[in-house]
Amino acid sequence: MNRRASPTSPAADAGSAATHTPAPTSTASAASFASVPSAAVPSAAAASTRATARSDDAHILVSGLGVRRAERWLFHDLTLTVPRGAFVAIVGPSGAGKSTLLACLAGALAPGEGEIRFRERSGRLVAPEHCRPRIGCVFQRLLLVENSSVLANVLCGRLGRHRWWQTLFGAPRAEREAAFAIVADLGLAPHTHRWVAELSGGEQQRTAIARALFQEPDLYLADEPISNLDTYLTGRVLGRLRQEAAQQGRTVFCVLHDPTLVDRFADLVVSIDPTDPHGWRVRPVRR
Amino acid sequence: MKPPAPRSGSPATPAPTPSPAPSPPRPRSEPHSQSQTPPNTQPHAQPPPPAQPPAPAPVFPELPWYRCLDALSVTLLLFGLAIFFSLPTLRGSGRDLDYWENARRFLARFFPPDFSVTPQVLTALAETAQIAVLATAGALVLSFPLGLAGARTLSPRWLVTLARLALNVTRTVPSLLWALIAVAIVGANPLAGVLGLTAYSVGYLGKFFSDAFESVDLDVARGLRAIGASRIQAFQHGVWPHTRPLIWSYALWMLEYNLRSAAIIGYVGAGGLGVLLHGYQEYHAWDRFCAVLVFILGLVTVLDLLGEWVRRKVTKRAARAPA
Repeated sequence: MNRRASPTSPAADAGSAATHTPAPTSTASAASFASVPSAAVPSAAAASTRATARSDDAHILVSGLGVRRAERWLFHDLTLTVPRGAFVAIVGPSGAGKSTLLACLAGALAPGEGEIRFRERSGRLVAPEHCRPRIGCVFQRLLLVENSSVLANVLCGRLGRHRWWQTLFGAPRAEREAAFAIVADLGLAPHTHRWVAELSGGEQQRTAIARALFQEPDLYLADEPISNLDTYLTGRVLGRLRQEAAQQGRTVFCVLHDPTLVDRFADLVVSIDPTDPHGWRVRPVRR
Repeated sequence: MKPPAPRSGSPATPAPTPSPAPSPPRPRSEPHSQSQTPPNTQPHAQPPPPAQPPAPAPVFPELPWYRCLDALSVTLLLFGLAIFFSLPTLRGSGRDLDYWENARRFLARFFPPDFSVTPQVLTALAETAQIAVLATAGALVLSFPLGLAGARTLSPRWLVTLARLALNVTRTVPSLLWALIAVAIVGANPLAGVLGLTAYSVGYLGKFFSDAFESVDLDVARGLRAIGASRIQAFQHGVWPHTRPLIWSYALWMLEYNLRSAAIIGYVGAGGLGVLLHGYQEYHAWDRFCAVLVFILGLVTVLDLLGEWVRRKVTKRAARAPA
């Protein structure tokens, strides 16, 4: 708590001005994102108001977030403000709580303390569980429907946009074609109508990524989306996510392990670190 | 060049860290490369940590002996005991009977089968099939909601209890008794057969369906919920594709089963082949009885092969999945 209140905030450390550059239009420059942690405000109590007051383009406001597991805080008092269109890498050792943080952001897990708010395009602040159709997830276990085709799985991405009776007998043709475009872009065109259960691990993973991309969410939560992909596909997938972030203003949270990839793609790094007293640290990536 | 001093670090009272060895506090804003190993040239480097006693080597965690008594081994043990105590049943009547001669004499009356009754048998066969098809269809419609209600993973507890109780009660009553009840209600005609078999099949299909729904990994459906799908959508796209092959193959099995049952329930007057069987038995026309049996055998065999083929088609793609 004291540390973040200290005058030597990470932003000052990065040597950037505290002015906040609107993110979505700019290609994510180092300066604009280096100023991000400065919005991580001194006190958790003042977090939401303060962040709201100073950064209207902030997309995600996390204040005082803490998750406890087995009598131990995985992370504690996590305060973070992320501008729209940022690529946030989450790093940390196994079991540190990276996926837990993503689950909290997805609204799938109620945190022990603190709160998460998303700013919708209209400017309204909402809790994650109230804007699920606009959160795209690439789960660590993929959670694809195995007994169903790749296309059907990708089409599941937009279920949240329709009422249940509209999707009862399949998606409209335009949606099917849009889904196929994404499937083909990820190199899965020959497998469009094959069952997910028949695919290899990497192909399944790309299907899960295609589902999230097809959803066109405001926020991507990707839990190790490239763990089964080769170097070429890794670059392609992360590049596509980064492009979505920079051009469409869709914020990306991505669990990554490879420091080179973090340096290449991320704007901001949240490291969940058990050796840290609070269990987390935030740093910008300098380019 | 000197690395930047840890500015945010070195608080007056360092917060307790969960790590075993006390490490110098690391600056929050440092890149990994610098924050990993702070060199000794730091202006206010911490004194080296006091030497700690070496950690004892981890001991192999031996399991206590009683851990081999799991549910399976205990069940096997009990089953062995049960076999031993059931042996007295094999004594029979205790009278000096020539079992082989009895069997030979009785079975000899079955041969040769009298196929002169083929026209009647075919008519009754068609009726049997009609009863079975309608009963299976009715049971499918009724047992789908009951199966949903009986799935512990999908329904609230009270509903599960209620549905399972209803299914168990239905299953406890044998099909002949159901047919008897139906005959008492609607009279001795094929409708009684349809009603009786429907009630009986609901007990089975409902249980199978709820087990099928329970066997689904609900995380997939939860994943769909997390990206915005409604409950019904999550069920349709996340649960149904997994249960569909199971449910169709159970339905096929039930159809086969109902065909066999429908051949018997005529004994109590509920239509179908059983009426013929009952009549021939009354008049000791065992050769005709045998002809009916041959037809049933043919029917069941054909259905078995057909069902097997369809089941393979339905579940083949799921089975081809990599492990």
